[in-house]
Amino acid sequence: MPAIAGPSSSPQKHVVGSRLEVTGGLRSAEVNTCRKRKLRSDSAAEVSSSTPVNSISTPMKWKSPRRCAVSIPKTADEEIKEDSNGNLASPVISAVKNLSVCLDVESKWNPRDEEQMKAVKEALHVSKAPSTVVCREDEQRRVSEFVKSCMEQNKAGSLYICGCPGTGKSLSMEKVRQQADDWAKQAGLPCSETVSVNCTSLTKTTDIFSKILGKNESGSKANGSSSPLQQLQSLFSQKQQQSSSKMMLIIADEMDYLITRDRGVLHELFMLTTLPFSRCILIGVANAIDLADRFLPKLKSLNCKPLVVTFRAYSKEQILRILQERLVALPYVAFQSNALEICARKVSAASGDMRKALCVCRSALEILEIEARGSIDQEPQGPVPECQVVKMDHMLAALSKTFKSPVVDTIQSLPQHQQIIVCSAAKAFRGSKKDRTIAELNKLYLEICKSSTITPAGITEFTNMCTVLNDQGILKLSQARDEKLRRVSLRVDEADITFALKEIRFFRNCLL
Amino acid sequence: MATTTPRNKTFKSPTKTPTANNIYRKSYQSPSLTPQTPQTITPLRRSARHVSRRIDLGNDPIDVLEIESKEEMNLIRKRERAPPRKQSVDDVSEKSKKPQSLKTPTKKTKLDSEVSFSPVSPNRTEKRKNKSEEVKKTKTKTKTKKRVYYNRVEFDETEFEIGDDVYVKRREDANSDEEDPEIEDCKICFKSGGSDVMLECDDCLGGFHLKCLKPPLKDVPEGDWICQFCEVNKSGGGQSQTLVVPKPPEGKKLARTMREKLLSSDLWAARIEKLWKEVGDGVYWIRVRWYMIPEETVSGRQPHNLKRELYLTNDFADIEMDCVLRHCFVKCPKEFSKASNDGDDVFLCEYEYDVHWHSFKRLAELVDGDSDSDQEWNGRKEEEEIDDSDEEVEVEEDEESVVRGDSKGKRGLTSVKGGANSRKGRFFGLEKVGAKQIPEHVRCHKQTELEKAKATLLLATRPKSLPCRNREMEEITAFIKGSISDDQCLGRCMYIHGVPGTGKTISVLSVMKNLKAEVEAGNVNPYCFVEINGLKLASPENIYSVIYEALSGHRVGWKKALHSLNERFAEGKKIGKEDDKPCILLIDELDLLVTRNQSVLYNILDWPTKPNSKLIVLGIANTMDLPEKLLPRISSRMGIQRLCFGPYNHTQLQEIISTRLNGIDAFEKTAIEFASRKVAAISGDARRALEICRRAAEVADHRLKTNKTAKSQLVIMGDVEAAIQEMFQAPHIQVMKSVSKLSKIFLTAMVHELYKTGMAETTFDRVATTVSSICLTNGEAFPGWDILLKIGCDLGECRIILCEPGEKHRLQKLQLNFPSDDVAFALKENKDLPWLANYL
Repeated sequence: MPAIAGPSSSPQKHVVGSRLEVTGGLRSAEVNTCRKRKLRSDSAAEVSSSTPVNSISTPMKWKSPRRCAVSIPKTADEEIKEDSNGNLASPVISAVKNLSVCLDVESKWNPRDEEQMKAVKEALHVSKAPSTVVCREDEQRRVSEFVKSCMEQNKAGSLYICGCPGTGKSLSMEKVRQQADDWAKQAGLPCSETVSVNCTSLTKTTDIFSKILGKNESGSKANGSSSPLQQLQSLFSQKQQQSSSKMMLIIADEMDYLITRDRGVLHELFMLTTLPFSRCILIGVANAIDLADRFLPKLKSLNCKPLVVTFRAYSKEQILRILQERLVALPYVAFQSNALEICARKVSAASGDMRKALCVCRSALEILEIEARGSIDQEPQGPVPECQVVKMDHMLAALSKTFKSPVVDTIQSLPQHQQIIVCSAAKAFRGSKKDRTIAELNKLYLEICKSSTITPAGITEFTNMCTVLNDQGILKLSQARDEKLRRVSLRVDEADITFALKEIRFFRNCLL
Repeated sequence: MATTTPRNKTFKSPTKTPTANNIYRKSYQSPSLTPQTPQTITPLRRSARHVSRRIDLGNDPIDVLEIESKEEMNLIRKRERAPPRKQSVDDVSEKSKKPQSLKTPTKKTKLDSEVSFSPVSPNRTEKRKNKSEEVKKTKTKTKTKKRVYYNRVEFDETEFEIGDDVYVKRREDANSDEEDPEIEDCKICFKSGGSDVMLECDDCLGGFHLKCLKPPLKDVPEGDWICQFCEVNKSGGGQSQTLVVPKPPEGKKLARTMREKLLSSDLWAARIEKLWKEVGDGVYWIRVRWYMIPEETVSGRQPHNLKRELYLTNDFADIEMDCVLRHCFVKCPKEFSKASNDGDDVFLCEYEYDVHWHSFKRLAELVDGDSDSDQEWNGRKEEEEIDDSDEEVEVEEDEESVVRGDSKGKRGLTSVKGGANSRKGRFFGLEKVGAKQIPEHVRCHKQTELEKAKATLLLATRPKSLPCRNREMEEITAFIKGSISDDQCLGRCMYIHGVPGTGKTISVLSVMKNLKAEVEAGNVNPYCFVEINGLKLASPENIYSVIYEALSGHRVGWKKALHSLNERFAEGKKIGKEDDKPCILLIDELDLLVTRNQSVLYNILDWPTKPNSKLIVLGIANTMDLPEKLLPRISSRMGIQRLCFGPYNHTQLQEIISTRLNGIDAFEKTAIEFASRKVAAISGDARRALEICRRAAEVADHRLKTNKTAKSQLVIMGDVEAAIQEMFQAPHIQVMKSVSKLSKIFLTAMVHELYKTGMAETTFDRVATTVSSICLTNGEAFPGWDILLKIGCDLGECRIILCEPGEKHRLQKLQLNFPSDDVAFALKENKDLPWLANYL
């Protein structure tokens, strides 16, 4: 946030910030003298929660002077260089440096301390919005520049933001909203009104118009004759008095929930920005990259196609940096740096979903917690083992819990008859044929049973077992009118089945 | 008796002043019925009674009025106690007289029965004017009818009207009603006297003199006020300052007010529905509709119940008038909020309670939608009314009074004699619907081991312990505890999956039970737990209203509920006072919440990711890969916490069955092992294993009863085998074994045809030819084509064979629905037609 708001911010704000820092410093000094560190982190949390606006300055309050020295150049760095490459590289180094510094100075992290554990968990929780959104500066800047230009020129515009889940879209929009408010205040423009809607929480798709309208003119009477959409349209197509010349920022999260069969709602929403006296800036957020192209071909012809900003999935470096950014606020080190790195690598390779990375870190932390507690039970009075941080093996355990394919284990733990079905299915789909009916599969199953002198289960039981396997994701059953005509196909690789059943002697010759 | 007569005299004295009489006439619809007028002018009837007593004491009536008005001024916005009065001798005498007091009105009515309805009628001339018509009516009707109905009755100096709310005495402990202070004592000085204003604590409802408080208050404070004792209790009481609740002075008995008695269910409250007099013995009766305190409902007192909350029931009873103590005032929430200083006898009633179905319904349905439940309710009400109507044949409505005849006389009177209401006073929270306790002597015969085994193996019986799921339960416990233990409860989500019958739901529920015990022990912070089964929802969206109702106690439509839930979880606004608690949401059959655009699941799983949501979601479903089937944005929010309940293997099943049968010697070890191995090989479903064992016990029971010579009383392998045969063997084989002779021949012919041609499909024509040739060679009479066609159709109806729609008759195509091996197996050993085996 200082990266963007910094240069244009008025001196007055600086004064406020510095004063705050002074008080914060005083407080931290007090805390230092009379209480232990445990409470320091508490007070920090309290301050940051109570004054969310000033949260930029708060994390520095209780940092050791050394770290302040490290982090101040960092922000300066960001201010000067807007180049994303340089931006990326230097903070990572500084953060790593930070970590090593921490390792030297304060290694008093103790996984048995519940307060510390709580603080780390909180820092890693998805609901905790970081004060700055790192690694999204570029996208954020583009969005806020768009908003600014629209506000300056007093014209309407639309923007579409797409990206995979967990890439910080909604979080960035929240920040953009705040920035826009701040900026409008400083620039002396009339403060814009903001409507941010999560489209999933609408009961009807057309409710979005009434929400916009409700924000727009809360005071004026709502006439029941015309629909909210018509009111909005008439509002934006007539010249307005100076009183209502405010801009309106509409942020529609999960916009694809507005897609109806005729795409009317989505279309009308974008069309609002094309009306002659429209004052709304529309920002739509969704996952699909081509939502605008696919569903709004008409907008192209009207030449009001929304700008598109894409949030790419996080790369390995970005995930690492975000994790470090979240953890650097804590006065102790809970994670080994290479443990974090392996987490970042794995997650970025799989999906680049930040939520997943945070979850993995948390579960690794829990593994450590259990381990620590176990060691207490064993030797209650024993000395504290050196440096109990989350290491590679903890992280690997957590990762394997998340990303490991459960197929082999599942097949091995199946009841015997279900294993026979899986085996017969593997045989059936060995050729070019991709699917068969249940009746055909039953025939194969009966053959295997006969050959190994096992009494087969009846046909009803067989279909039951097939649905169970379908639930487990091993087979796939399609819907059909007749039970026996349902088509079966295999959803796991044949090699997996062979591998899983290899150890059971019974199946060895069945699969040949 | 002696006391009443002088008092009546004193009452009359103020009424005689003509000016006063005029005023009262204006204020009342029927002036003739208001003899004790000076009391009724004040808003509080109760306080009005004081006046009467002061008159008794010889005070000047005008002075009293002035005092009264002054005291009225004292009543401020807060709900307070009405100004206390002196405890007079009269008070006690009145109570002691009550049981007999009904004689007073009877006598009076006998005297002037043709004249008036009201027992005390000082102003006869006026009454004549007003009600001359009515009197005639009564005159004519009382000769034939046995009851006289009134709209308003004056009884024991108080006036009761239809629709009034009254306290009703419980017959059983009438002794405890010896004294009835209308003003409760101050909780600190234990004096009820003094002209001081009393303040009511909003928590314990205790009364306090303003001057007795520390520090003393001058005025009644605005807003809620909680007394110092409750405040200490609330803050935990662990601090250094522990307030000792002052003990009453020696010898002074703590008198409870009517309100206290009602709320501890020593008294009842009721609404008067009808008033009548039995002409035969002149006893006054009322039909009342009971109120219930929350403790008496099936769900017990809920956290959202207010202290003064009552429920209106649909339970009626006819009681004698002398059970009625005095008025109380039950109000709807709107009025209740206004009635801040109406004294102690004000209650709130927002919901109606159905005593038969244990359901609640808001009295004035403010919320739109949800009309289906209402219909049910109304239907029931109609039934109720029909029940009533056979009692009262003639219904005649009149503005002033209702005169009805009762053809059946005193029916129902005797039933009331014992207690006013048989249902009242019982605490319903302890028992479940339909689970009536069977008296011990009915089941006096000693249960055999087998019967005990059958009972414990029932699926409905909850096991005492859950073996083989310790690891999973520990994981769930750790998950929930880890989330709710810290003050800043971080929202999380866990997905539990596994095949049916592997103990998913029961594990979670038993974890929650253990947690509840820990909450009560004080180890864990309190939380609220909402359990929802996806199958029980009318539509996926309904989950919002179910959650909202569970959290706030109000039933609203799902759109409104979604809005308020969003406010609570996403924006951090508070719905009620319970909101600081973390909320644990258990959704069983989560996959049923998947809508077309999956917005329901999205919303529910998005809330835990919001700050301050304090929501923990536990989802249970069968499918292992539900998160992968969902949209990526939902699986991203679902997190990575998964827990798999695998199918049981045979040792686990064995352990489950033997723990259930612990202490009951009914099964052979091998029998249990056989059953569990059989089930584990096919599905690993514990439910099925239990069912097989239970069935085996039944089979064994039957076997032992028919064959008394058997030595061991245990379930053996053979029984289990029989049970498994029943359960696993497909029903079609049994059907084929039991079809008619001709059908068997028909099926054999089909199999034969199949062997001959190798084609699955055949026509009726060909089958018929084969049947005729088979019949010919084996000496059976060929039944004829039309009967054969009918047999084919019948088999088609049973779905043993598949046949084309029947227009084509001879040319319709037929096909066996089951493998030919099954048919051969079913028909091979046949005593009637042994030659069938040749063709199979």
